[in-house]
Amino acid sequence: MPVPTIADPPVVVQSGAKPSQQSMSKAERRELQEKQRAAKAALKEQQGGGKPQGGKAPAGAQPKPPQTPKAPKDQQAGPPQAKIPQATGGAGPSKTKIPTTPHRKSFLAESPWKGGLKDASAAAAEEASNRQSHGLRIFTHFGQPKPIIAVKGEIHPAIVRLGLLFSEFKICGANARCIATLTAFKQVIQDYTTPPQHTLSRHLMTHLSPQITHLVSARPMSVTMGNAIRELKLKISNIDIDMVEQDAKNALYAEIDNYIRDRILLADELIEELAGNKIKDGDVILTYAKSSVVEKVLLNAREEGKKFSIIVIDSPPLLEGKVLLQSLIQGSNPIPCTYALLPALPSLLTDVSMVLVGAHALYSNGAVYSRAGTAMVAMMAKANSVPVVVCCETYKFSEGVMVDGFSKNELVPLSISNKHSNLLKDIDAEPNLEKLNPLYDLTPPGYITAVVTEVGLIPPSSISSIPLALGKTNM
Amino acid sequence: MFDIKSAFQAILKDEQISPPLAAILALTELIDNSDAGTMFELVKALNDGAEALKNQTTNTISLNAGCELFIAFVTLFPHDSDNFTDLKKELIRHGQNYAAEALTYRQKIAELAVGFIKDGSVILTHSYSRVVMQTLLLAHKRKRISVFVTEARPRGLGIKTAEALTAAGVPSTVILDSAVAYVMDKVDFVLVGSEAVVESGGLVNAVGSNQIAIIARAANKPFYALAESYKFHRLFPLSQYDLPSHTSKILSFPRPLLSEPSLRTNAPDGGLSYPSSGSTSTNQPDLESPRITQESISQNNPNVDYTRPDLISLVFSDVGSLTPEGVSQYLVGMFAG
Repeated sequence: MPVPTIADPPVVVQSGAKPSQQSMSKAERRELQEKQRAAKAALKEQQGGGKPQGGKAPAGAQPKPPQTPKAPKDQQAGPPQAKIPQATGGAGPSKTKIPTTPHRKSFLAESPWKGGLKDASAAAAEEASNRQSHGLRIFTHFGQPKPIIAVKGEIHPAIVRLGLLFSEFKICGANARCIATLTAFKQVIQDYTTPPQHTLSRHLMTHLSPQITHLVSARPMSVTMGNAIRELKLKISNIDIDMVEQDAKNALYAEIDNYIRDRILLADELIEELAGNKIKDGDVILTYAKSSVVEKVLLNAREEGKKFSIIVIDSPPLLEGKVLLQSLIQGSNPIPCTYALLPALPSLLTDVSMVLVGAHALYSNGAVYSRAGTAMVAMMAKANSVPVVVCCETYKFSEGVMVDGFSKNELVPLSISNKHSNLLKDIDAEPNLEKLNPLYDLTPPGYITAVVTEVGLIPPSSISSIPLALGKTNM
Repeated sequence: MFDIKSAFQAILKDEQISPPLAAILALTELIDNSDAGTMFELVKALNDGAEALKNQTTNTISLNAGCELFIAFVTLFPHDSDNFTDLKKELIRHGQNYAAEALTYRQKIAELAVGFIKDGSVILTHSYSRVVMQTLLLAHKRKRISVFVTEARPRGLGIKTAEALTAAGVPSTVILDSAVAYVMDKVDFVLVGSEAVVESGGLVNAVGSNQIAIIARAANKPFYALAESYKFHRLFPLSQYDLPSHTSKILSFPRPLLSEPSLRTNAPDGGLSYPSSGSTSTNQPDLESPRITQESISQNNPNVDYTRPDLISLVFSDVGSLTPEGVSQYLVGMFAG
């Protein structure tokens, strides 16, 4: 069974909707589409929905000014029946019925993923979101999470729990997600029994696939999770066929533990030391949002007795910097900190000796994919001749190349952004206003001075030679 | 008791041997004189020797490069020998062979760089560098070149370069350090030697190199650095002030003069601090300000500076002509993992 990919390109035919559409001719398909459209429009009229649906523009058309109203601050469960801004026909379901086919969601949808259950009270939400005639033209390719209603195969409760934590942003951050995923997989493997006539090394992977899909539907897969899962699959496929099942499982537990220990925890310790060497007494270190590695580096430097101060830059909607601030100032030996939002950055940069940021992923061309806002911090620092140091474990390396933050990104779901930031709540469901919160951005290699990994300090231009130096064919 | 420092000094007397090579040879001698029985002991003794060498001089960067290279080599050396004495002999032999071969590196680099020098080139160089000298003299044999040399204060080594070039028949003249921008438009390219080439792909060289590189970039002239491979170092300075050679004394302000005689201090060292009462016993009877001498200027100023990799066009080395990115890839390949 193939593993479904995350970002399915907009297809004319909805997956699983009407496979026979492939066999229809173009004219017939068009006819069917029009029929479905009419049916849907009629349904909307019936239910007294709000604004009339505008013409369906195909996805990827030139960005029109956003016309859809924001969904009200509705935290309810249930995938809203959003109007799909693309030329497809859904099986025009009624609003209170659970859709049998996954729909493209408008990007103003709240965290739509709730395991597919719907409350009756979500009908109101649906009605409101049905008023959204067009989604944003840009960012339609980010692949909004699809709710999986009827799952193929059972999802392990640990995975269900994890998916929920992901979608609620309770576990947030590349390292945290990877460690949580691997730990959950340990449980899955523990409860797994090889069915007769199958070998563990082959069947376990097919067993894991729906679990992975479930997690991906909660939040798009991070590069760290991807690399870890790839390694795990490699280890699984290498298991001797003749091995006793429990032994094989124990071997896998050991592999997973070793991976977490070597590639993440020990790597972090080395990075603490290497980056710590660059922190001298009297330095002013600037950091952005919250990176687990940077936090460790700073706390370790404090433990070593260095006297320095920190500026924490933050930005809504997630305001993760506050959490970092808490951990830096608590305890008996608090580090002197300044907290500011991103617009205050230019006035603070003149005093800064070094910028220290974390990364979500590092690409072969040396670009750093990190929390949205990092690129701006790096760019301003470069303009002020302040060295920018990125702390990144080698398991975050991706073989690909990225040149901008548009080709791959993720949007903060409305429910999460409303939760964290009171200001945005006041901007009510305006018909002509949409909120857009990309989670990540890309810092070009030219703005980065050095990358601290567990193998040493590397200039961004040499990132591609690291896997070679480590003797690995794949990371 | 083997004294590595005197051995080092003795080796350095040979003009052709640069500090990193001398360090390697000194460490080789240390192995010869060492009574270590295991690899662990030997590496520890080598590290101690390297520390001792570093302590005797302020300019440690190129020395470090040589020491680290040799110690890494010793650590990674495959232990095929039956007993430890044989292994030590192997190491010593390798060390001495390396040093002998390394002396040919300058010639290799000169051959490589000469290919980039066109007939009739006007070259700007900085201070005195043996590898640049060898390159220019080799170029002079086959082509016509003329050379501007910066004076390179305070040590004034540029004068030595100009004299040697003139004696060999190369048209050369000394220019002021401050006149580099003035002369840059007349120059075809800049050629400098190196103390060390660092992990970022940047260059550590006599102070003034960074300035010349910036001016060359502004005038769109190529900036070439010549460096033997034993000068490649895993250091990664984030800025000028991140260099190991940067101390708090450099660029510090002398103590301010105070008018009251009881508080006036005659302390010669830098550092902006106010003297506490009774901290010093000497009193100046008159209001004369201490003279600023050339000596005090050179004490207060750096000896080397760091040139960023984006200002360097190419690095010529015995392993080939490398871009600055290539240098770091080479270093990563050699040392990482």
